Amino acid sequence: MLSRAASSLFWMARYLERAESQARLLDVSLTMALIDVPEDREEQLSVPLLVTGTQEAFTSLYKDITPQNVIDFMLLDERHPASVYNIIKSARDNALQVRGNLSADVWESINLSWMEMKDLRATGVTESNASRIFDWTRARSHIFRGAAYGTLLRTDAFHFLRLGTFIERADTTARVLDIRHRMATASQDEHATRSFFEWTALLHSLAAFEAYQQIYGHNILPINVAELLILELDVPRSLHACLREIVALLEQVENGEARKARRLANSLFANIHYGDRDYIAERGLHEYLTDFLERIQGIAEQIQKDYMGWQV
Amino acid sequence: MLIQTPAEGLYDELFDSDNRVRPHCKPLENWLVDSDEDLIAEKRREANVLFQRLGITFNVYGEDQGADRLIPFDLIPRVISAADWQILSSGLRQRVQALNRFLHDIYHNFEIVKAGVLSAEQVFANPQYQPGMQNLKLPRNLYSHIAGIDLIRHNDGDFYVLEDNLRCPSGVSYMLENRRMMMRLFPELFASAPVAPVDHYPALLGETLRAASLKPNPTVAVLTPGRFNSAYFEHAFLARQMGVELVEGADLFVRKNRVYMKTTVGPQQVDVIYRRIDDDFLDPLAGNPKSMLGVPGLYAAYRSGNVVFANAMGTGVADDKSIYPFVPDMIRFYLGEEPILKNVPTWSCRKPKDLKYVLEHLSELVVKEAQGAGGYGMLIGPKATKKELSHFADLLKAKPHLYIAQPTLSLSTCPTFVEEGVAPRHLDLRPFVLSGKKIQMVPGGLTRVALKEGSLVVNSSQGGGTKDTWVLEGDPC
Repeated sequence: MLSRAASSLFWMARYLERAESQARLLDVSLTMALIDVPEDREEQLSVPLLVTGTQEAFTSLYKDITPQNVIDFMLLDERHPASVYNIIKSARDNALQVRGNLSADVWESINLSWMEMKDLRATGVTESNASRIFDWTRARSHIFRGAAYGTLLRTDAFHFLRLGTFIERADTTARVLDIRHRMATASQDEHATRSFFEWTALLHSLAAFEAYQQIYGHNILPINVAELLILELDVPRSLHACLREIVALLEQVENGEARKARRLANSLFANIHYGDRDYIAERGLHEYLTDFLERIQGIAEQIQKDYMGWQV
Repeated sequence: MLIQTPAEGLYDELFDSDNRVRPHCKPLENWLVDSDEDLIAEKRREANVLFQRLGITFNVYGEDQGADRLIPFDLIPRVISAADWQILSSGLRQRVQALNRFLHDIYHNFEIVKAGVLSAEQVFANPQYQPGMQNLKLPRNLYSHIAGIDLIRHNDGDFYVLEDNLRCPSGVSYMLENRRMMMRLFPELFASAPVAPVDHYPALLGETLRAASLKPNPTVAVLTPGRFNSAYFEHAFLARQMGVELVEGADLFVRKNRVYMKTTVGPQQVDVIYRRIDDDFLDPLAGNPKSMLGVPGLYAAYRSGNVVFANAMGTGVADDKSIYPFVPDMIRFYLGEEPILKNVPTWSCRKPKDLKYVLEHLSELVVKEAQGAGGYGMLIGPKATKKELSHFADLLKAKPHLYIAQPTLSLSTCPTFVEEGVAPRHLDLRPFVLSGKKIQMVPGGLTRVALKEGSLVVNSSQGGGTKDTWVLEGDPC
C-alpha cells in the first residue's frame, strides 16, 4: 500500500485511541477532584495535564486549574492541539486522506464523530454534563473499533491502523501507570480510604478496575496493580498485551526486506514476556516505565522509517 | 402533493404541452400526487443528514477551505424514456468517436486541416493545443477515455449538445450517490418503474482504464490534487469503487522514465494514471513550474510511452468553445455520417460578420468565454442589465476572439421541490462516455437543476442542485 496511506491510517488510529484515553483520564480526575479535600483538588486536576505533558500549554492559556478550565482545555479548546476536539479533527483529516482504504462504515463512523464533536463544541461542556461527553467519546471509539473489526479487509491497511492503536495504548498505559502509581503510593501513608480511591482511580483510568477485582480480589496492593497493568496478558491495556499485538501485526505486515522495527518490537516483547514482578520491583517502577516509554517511542519511529519514510 | 404546471412554451419533462402527464412519467406522477408533504420534508432532511455523514461534500473556490458544502439534492427524479435514450446513446457514441478521431488526426496528419474543414490557425494557435503531443503514439489512438457531454432539451423536444468535456469531467459520483440515496429513501418507487441501473459505472471505468494500456495486467492509479480539491470526494470514491490506489503527486516519482508509487514495500510501477489534475499541473518540469500537485519527470515518462494518462494531454483543444461549432463537420468528415445530436447554433466572435450580428443582438444571446468553465464570466442577454450589456459589448470589441455567442435556449424544466412547493425548474444532463476497447456508458448521467425560479445556470458553484436521472428500460413510448 502507499506509504502515505499507511502513515495516515497509523495516525488516524493513534488519534482515536488518544481521544478515548483522554476522556477516561479526565473523567476519573474530575471525579477524584470532587471526592478529594479542597487543598488536594488541584493535584487531581493536574493529572491529565501531567500525563499528556501539557502543563505549560495550559498555563499559557488559563490562569487557574479549575474543573471548568481543565474541561475546556482538554476537551474543546481549538487553540490546544491535543484537545479531544482537535484530536478528533486530526483523526478525521487523516481518514479523509485515506478514504480509498477505508470501508464506508469506518469512514462514516469517524466522519460522524467529527460532525457531532462540532455540535458539542458549539453547545459547550460544563462540569454537570461532562460525564455525558466522556460516555460519548468512549462510545464513538467503540463504534470505530467495531466498524474496523467488522468491515475492514485484513490487509496492511488494517495492520497499520491496529499498529497505531496499540502503540498509542501502550504509551498511555505506561504514562498513566507511572504518574498515578506514584500518587497512590504516596497516599498510602495517609489514610486507608484516600488510598483506596487513589488506586481505583488508576485502575479506572485504564479500564482495568473490574479486571483487578476478578484476578486479585478486593485488597489492592501496589505491586499487584503494576503486575496487572504491565505483565497480565489478559488485560487489554496491559503493556504485555499491547506488545503481543504489535509483534503479531508486524509479522503480518507485508515486508519488502528485513525490517528493524520487528527486531525492536520482539526484543521489548521478550523483555516483558519473560519478566516478573520481582524484577519490576527491584528495578523500580518509575525507572522501568521510563525505559519502556523510550523503547516504545523508538519502535513507533522505526515503523515510520521502515514503511512510511521515503528517500528517492 | 400539488404539482405546479410548467410555463407555456417551455418543454417540461413531466407534462406535455397540454399539461397532460407524459405516459412514461405516470408512475412518478402518481407517487408525487400521493406523497404527503410532511413525509417528503422529512425525507429531505434525512437525505441531507446522510449526505453529510457520507461526506459527499464539495468546496467552493473562494470560500473557506474545508467549508464542506452539500450540493442540494432534489428528491424528484428526472425521467428519460427508453426511446429518447436510444437516440441519446447512439448520438453520444458517434460524437465521442469523432472527437477522438479528431484528436488523433490533429496530433498526427491533420487531414481535417488539409481538407479545409478547419483552418490551421484555429487548431494550432489554440492555447489548448499541445505541440508536445504531436506524433505521440497512444494505445488504441484514444485521447478522451472519459468524456462528459453536456446536453439540454430545447422547446422543440430535441436534445442539443451544449458542451463537450474531454479533459477531467466530474460529477459521476453524484450520479451514483443520488441513485443510491433514492433507492434508500424510496425503495417502493423503484418497484413501480423499470429504472435502468447505473451502479456498474465504476466497473466499466476500471475496464476502460485497464484497456488504456496495452500491458496485460496494468496497474492503475487515480491521481488527485488532494483533499482540498472541490471534487476530492469523487476521486476517493472512484478509486475505492475500482479498488485502485488514490495517489497525490507526492506519492509518485519517476526513475528512468518510469513512474512508481511509494509503497510500504518499495517502489511499484504505475501503468495508467486516471488523472484528475489539469495538463499544466501534471509535471512542474514541463508545465507550470510552481505546481506542487504534479510529479517531476512525469511528462518525459509519458512521452516515452511508459505510462498512459486518462485522459491524454492536449484533449482541451477538442472541447474548446471555438472548436465546438465544427463538431458536426468532424462527424461527417471522419465517420461519413450525419450527426445524430444537434449542436447549438454558435457565432464565433472572431469572425467579423458574426461579431457584428452578436453586438446587434446582444440582449437576445448568451455570450461565453471560449476558454471559460463553471459558468463564470458569461452573459445571459435577456437577463442582463443595461450596464452589464454595455460592459460585455466593450469586452467583445476589445478581444472578440475570446468569445462565442449562442441563442438563449430555453432549457427544459422538471418539477422540483422548492420553498413554494413543487414547481418547474430548468435542468441539463451530463452523460459519461467511456472509450476503451469499445465505447461504453451506463444509461443515465448527472442531471443538474437551477433551483432559482427562471434561472438557467445549473452549476453547483452557483447554486445549482442535482437530481437522480432515470432512464427507463424498454417502455412502450
